[in-house]
Amino acid sequence: MSKQDGSGRQVTAAPTADTSASILHLDMDAFFASVELLERPELRGRPVIVGHRGARSVVTAATYEARRYGVNSAMPMALALRRCPNAIVLEPHYDRYQHFSREVMRILGDATPLVEPLSIDEAFLDVRGAVPLFGPPFAIATALRERIRSETGLTASVGAAATKFVAKLASSRAKPDGLLVVPEADTIAFLHPQPITALWGVGASTEERLARLGLRTIGDLAATPLDSLRAVIGEAGAARLHELAWGRDPRAVTPGRDEKSIGHEVTFERDVSDADALDRELLRLSTRVAERLRRGGWVARTVAVKIRFGDFRTITRSRTLAEPSDVAERLSREARALLGEARPAGTGIRLIGVRAENLLPAGSVARGLWDDDEPWRETETTLDAVAERFGRGAIQRASLLAPGERRRSALSTHGTDSSTDGAAPSTDDVGGLD
Amino acid sequence: MKFQVNRDVFADAVSFAVKLLPQRTTLPILSGVLLRAEGDTLTLSSFDYEVSAQTAITADIEEDGTVLVSGRLLSEIASRLPNAPVQFTTEDNKIAVRCGSARFTLSSMPVEEYPSLPIVDGPAGILPGDAFSDAVGQVSVAASRDDVTPVITGVQLEIAQNRLSLVATDRYRVAVREIDWESSAVAEGVTALVPARTLAELGKIFGHSAQIEVTIVTGGDRELIAFSADKKTVTSLLIKGNFPPVKRLFPETVDNYAVMNTAELIEATRRVALVLERDAALRYSFSVDGLTLEAIGSENAQASETIDAHLVGGDTVVSLKPQFLIDGLAAVHSEFVRISFTKTDNPNKPGPVLITSQSSKDQPGADNYRYLLQPNLLLR
Repeated sequence: MSKQDGSGRQVTAAPTADTSASILHLDMDAFFASVELLERPELRGRPVIVGHRGARSVVTAATYEARRYGVNSAMPMALALRRCPNAIVLEPHYDRYQHFSREVMRILGDATPLVEPLSIDEAFLDVRGAVPLFGPPFAIATALRERIRSETGLTASVGAAATKFVAKLASSRAKPDGLLVVPEADTIAFLHPQPITALWGVGASTEERLARLGLRTIGDLAATPLDSLRAVIGEAGAARLHELAWGRDPRAVTPGRDEKSIGHEVTFERDVSDADALDRELLRLSTRVAERLRRGGWVARTVAVKIRFGDFRTITRSRTLAEPSDVAERLSREARALLGEARPAGTGIRLIGVRAENLLPAGSVARGLWDDDEPWRETETTLDAVAERFGRGAIQRASLLAPGERRRSALSTHGTDSSTDGAAPSTDDVGGLD
Repeated sequence: MKFQVNRDVFADAVSFAVKLLPQRTTLPILSGVLLRAEGDTLTLSSFDYEVSAQTAITADIEEDGTVLVSGRLLSEIASRLPNAPVQFTTEDNKIAVRCGSARFTLSSMPVEEYPSLPIVDGPAGILPGDAFSDAVGQVSVAASRDDVTPVITGVQLEIAQNRLSLVATDRYRVAVREIDWESSAVAEGVTALVPARTLAELGKIFGHSAQIEVTIVTGGDRELIAFSADKKTVTSLLIKGNFPPVKRLFPETVDNYAVMNTAELIEATRRVALVLERDAALRYSFSVDGLTLEAIGSENAQASETIDAHLVGGDTVVSLKPQFLIDGLAAVHSEFVRISFTKTDNPNKPGPVLITSQSSKDQPGADNYRYLLQPNLLLR
């Protein structure tokens, strides 16, 4: 799955009545970029990159035309523009992505209530119960793709298989704008020629270790005795990969609440013990977490703080909010309190992180008669809008401008997410949806 | 120590003394009931540093003394004793309890380590017991049960001239009730935030008392409130912090409202809500033809029902959590109920609805109970 450019595409062209491939993985094609092109149809067919055109920013999304030049999301913008100098760079509009995501999820929900959103632009569906109503998975997937196209103007690719893993692999092979049905009986034949990196959980280091055994494809791994695998990648990993390699994946499609979290953390160049500096860092991290919560349409019920002391002792402390929140001011206030309780005064800190947990879709939370976060939310969404237009750092809280242990160049930092800060060569932020 | 006491009087006193003790306590000594025999009076006390209870009953005392015994155990024993006088005697470190042919031996906990109960002194006000009990029942239902925000787990008592108002909220609803209050000495504007759980027990304990004396001690490092009637006194620490100014959420006037039969609306809500998933809301559509309740549950289960409603003003649709509505409806204590609709400018936040009593279809209720409820967003 290292290639995102649509080469090596596989699709099921003719209708099939197979009903064994009842798990669908639907993935929007170049979602952010496609949404932007709805507003700029004249750019269709040209390489388009979504992101800020700043020196330190990264690629948020790219069209397939741009991907052919080797542009990938999360790549530094500067590198992307070196690879594809003709690319057109468009600013991202997260509210639009959110809107279209909701539209797509709504359409999926009409086919079956068993929809498990994985992120803003992909979801698993279990259509077993829908077959008597709407026909075999091929027909359901085709109908969903057509509805999405006619109602939103966007294209989606679908993989259909008997398990989640194979369905997800199939959708990546069908991209862009394709449908691939892998009937249960064909699972092994489909799976075994695929590269070993297509297995969930095989990253660069596992790949390297497996390559030393001479394993390149999933079939190679399936044919390797478990004992040999255990020796290289450990007990749990070996068992799991072996199961996946034989197409066995017992995970069910579970709709509803996502056990997701959003966090940012920072490692200091030198241990920090100054309370004001730590509080400022918590506010900065909370600000980024809250931005991502709002962008994703989430509110968090729980705030957690991760602290690594100078002696590498690492602790996590969390607390539940009275009302789920997506406001940095609230998150940072709780984070400061957690730090205050967990840190003996004056202790040096090596790493600190803020994480929003127990996420709920913002619209699903019943509104109270009053909302203590409201004034701050207004301020912060205004900041979001400014940051979206002019880039992060164009405007921010005055308290974040105070001199810190690091980030002396905070004002010059652009980009949608973590970027190495050249002026203060410390570890950069680690952020991600877990 | 040696005394004899009437069985029913004793059982009642013990039950009162242990009622407010916490189920679990970190200090075993605080799970005890202190029995003090002196002159012709037996005093029973309990105290866990937050809440104290004390009562005095008449007893035949042969020998004065004080013992501390497990509250739960004594209460269970007292409630099951045969119908005969109860005798207490201390023997060495043990306490012997005799009643008819039943015998119990209990161990005594160290009396000297038991904390002294707070002494409450100050100007008092008088409340009628029945009205107090009613008001507590109507208001405490709206208090939050979530300890994350301690201030709203309490009921706010606010003293005005000859009136005491009780206010509670859990952010989704606010309940307010005013009752008579007689006092020459307690300053107006005094407020006390009392844990809702404790207040609910107090409502039950003093429901049949003619008059309850209430003393509020504020300003010191230990702020507390005391309730006493019929030789029973309960004190409770007040919750610290500022209660949110929720009274201002109530609308001044509302010209769009509907009047329904209370019992009919409760029953229809319970029926239609059967198909709903937990925490889901029910759709209430008010029009000149009446009130239609609709619910869509899981797996396409649906329910609807229409009941009579007298609507004043325009047609209105609101989405309400059934249990929150029923809590308000059950608290109006009147045959009819008025639901008033407020307007807001925010399209993402419907205006709250106000629930008040109505003595007949056309006549608003004479009491001053008000229940404000935030509807959910309408999803279609």
